[in-house]
Amino acid sequence: MSDDTLLVVKDLHTTFDTPRGPLAAVGGVSFELGQNETLGIVGESGSGKTVLSRTIMGLQPRKNVEVTGSVRLNGFEVVGASEKEKRTIWGLEVAMVFQDPMTSLNPVLRVGKQIDEILRVRLGMSKADAKARAIELLELVGIPSPTERYRVYPGELSGGMRQRVVIATALAGSPKLLMADEPTTGLDVTIQAQILNLLDGLKTKMQMSVVLVTHDLGVVATRTSRIIVMYAGRIVETGSTRDVFAHHRMPYTRALLEGSPKVSNPSHTRLLAIPGRPPNLLDLPKGCAFAPRCAFATDQCREERPELEAADEPGHTFACWNPLPVTEGVPA
Amino acid sequence: MSNPNFLNELVEEASVHTQPLRKRRLGFLFWLCVGWIALNILGAIFANLLPLINPLFQNYNVVNAGPSLHHLLGTDDLGRDIFSRIVFGSRVSIEVSLGAMLIGFGIGAPLGMLAAYRRGTFDAVLSTVMYVFLAFPAIIATIAVLSFWTPRSLLKIIVVVGIAAIPLVYRVIRGATLNFATRDFVVAAKVQGATDRRILMKELLPNVAPIGVSFLLVGIATVVTLEGALAFLGLSVNPPTPSWGNMINESLANLQVNPWLAIFPSAAMCLFLLSLNFIGDRLRSHYDISEIKL
Repeated sequence: MSDDTLLVVKDLHTTFDTPRGPLAAVGGVSFELGQNETLGIVGESGSGKTVLSRTIMGLQPRKNVEVTGSVRLNGFEVVGASEKEKRTIWGLEVAMVFQDPMTSLNPVLRVGKQIDEILRVRLGMSKADAKARAIELLELVGIPSPTERYRVYPGELSGGMRQRVVIATALAGSPKLLMADEPTTGLDVTIQAQILNLLDGLKTKMQMSVVLVTHDLGVVATRTSRIIVMYAGRIVETGSTRDVFAHHRMPYTRALLEGSPKVSNPSHTRLLAIPGRPPNLLDLPKGCAFAPRCAFATDQCREERPELEAADEPGHTFACWNPLPVTEGVPA
Repeated sequence: MSNPNFLNELVEEASVHTQPLRKRRLGFLFWLCVGWIALNILGAIFANLLPLINPLFQNYNVVNAGPSLHHLLGTDDLGRDIFSRIVFGSRVSIEVSLGAMLIGFGIGAPLGMLAAYRRGTFDAVLSTVMYVFLAFPAIIATIAVLSFWTPRSLLKIIVVVGIAAIPLVYRVIRGATLNFATRDFVVAAKVQGATDRRILMKELLPNVAPIGVSFLLVGIATVVTLEGALAFLGLSVNPPTPSWGNMINESLANLQVNPWLAIFPSAAMCLFLLSLNFIGDRLRSHYDISEIKL
């Protein structure tokens, strides 16, 4: 662990206790994240990426959930910390941008007040200072005439503007880590690009690391330095964005890539869908979780679970018994 | 698309110029109702200072008289001034309704919010208890308790009606809070480091308050009728103290001789209730920011 490592996740398990048995939503995830780095976590619905991001935040339902392993955020151990202890890092060390800007702002409080809140309560600013800073933040996230916008209700803003406000509230405590859980899913495509570019720019301005959770590979392609591909609660491939796109070894990663539209495709090209459905987390296959849907699956895949192994490139690992040949890789 | 930024600018432009909420007015009728309620409440408070005929004074020279200049709304079968009895009678109605709602909301509302926010065992136990209480018809329960808890006093009525209101308030407030407590903005406040108390007071309360206020107004109206019903059954304050309910009750004996006796107190109660309901309804739709565009 080098000095500029911000987040260390080690063998993290999040298991829900359901009436039909334990459900391992996150099953042994380890990774590190450096300062000012952007990490993309990609996977299908139900691959455990949202639960993973919430576990890293230390946000779990009060009961029926068991978390083991370790999440070390700038020296603070999140796993096992009480709410009171976690409140010391929430907002100031780590902040979160939610998926749906329609529900993540309080509808009856003025926009400015929602940003003020953390400034006054957590940073102990005076009323006037907090207001000035809140207007500054609104300007930073690209809201025009921020002084006027300070007084409006969320209902008076469009979805994209609201997401900008959500980002402004997240930035208020100058966090070192920003968790963005599908920050653009609820927005129009044109606005999506704006919000992502904004996050990218803010990352440099605010000197923070960003974890971008998404199911959309197009979102992470140009904006992340590293990518984690998740399947059934585990990491199946991870590496630099370039390596994952160009030299991926895991058939699942390729399937995901082939499932996204590309401008270079001739028109009317059919997108390849991954056959079958994500596995039932209550009843995972004995071997590789992807084996039932994988074209390359062998008996070994069905019997033994592959562990992450190093690929040729530094920092690039994958979990597969029958990896794709090194040369085969579609440049992004 | 010669200039790719053109589209972005257009989009920016459109989202910036989203119309601010139109300044909606509460309307003349709303203020009329507020004025009427204010008049009633002021009358009740300052009844002693107003140049009114003593509501208990029996003038046998004018019995069962219709409205006149001296007796604005006439007199009853004992020669007492109806107008002054209505003004003094409003005291009982208003005291009982405000007092009972104070108890009902003072206990029911915080419990409801807490239960909806915390969920789990606390909520399950509390809700079960409340639903058991709700299973008793409130009016029958109040009548039963008041029949046996003698001698009756205003305070006892307030306490009994107030306790009967707790589960109703609890249910409404819990339901309203539940609707908001599961939204992302609560989680968002939490990961900003807000304490539970702060989330309840600063995030949830402003959302629940409009619903609470309109329910409070409906509640006051209901208690006014309930007091009327109790008085009608002779379970409210003892005569000769006037209350709207017992005035209506007493009027029945002379209904054929002097219908004014029933009409005026009924009208006073009716207008009071109507105004409260209208104010509640108007306020709810006016302050319902949350549902306008979300």
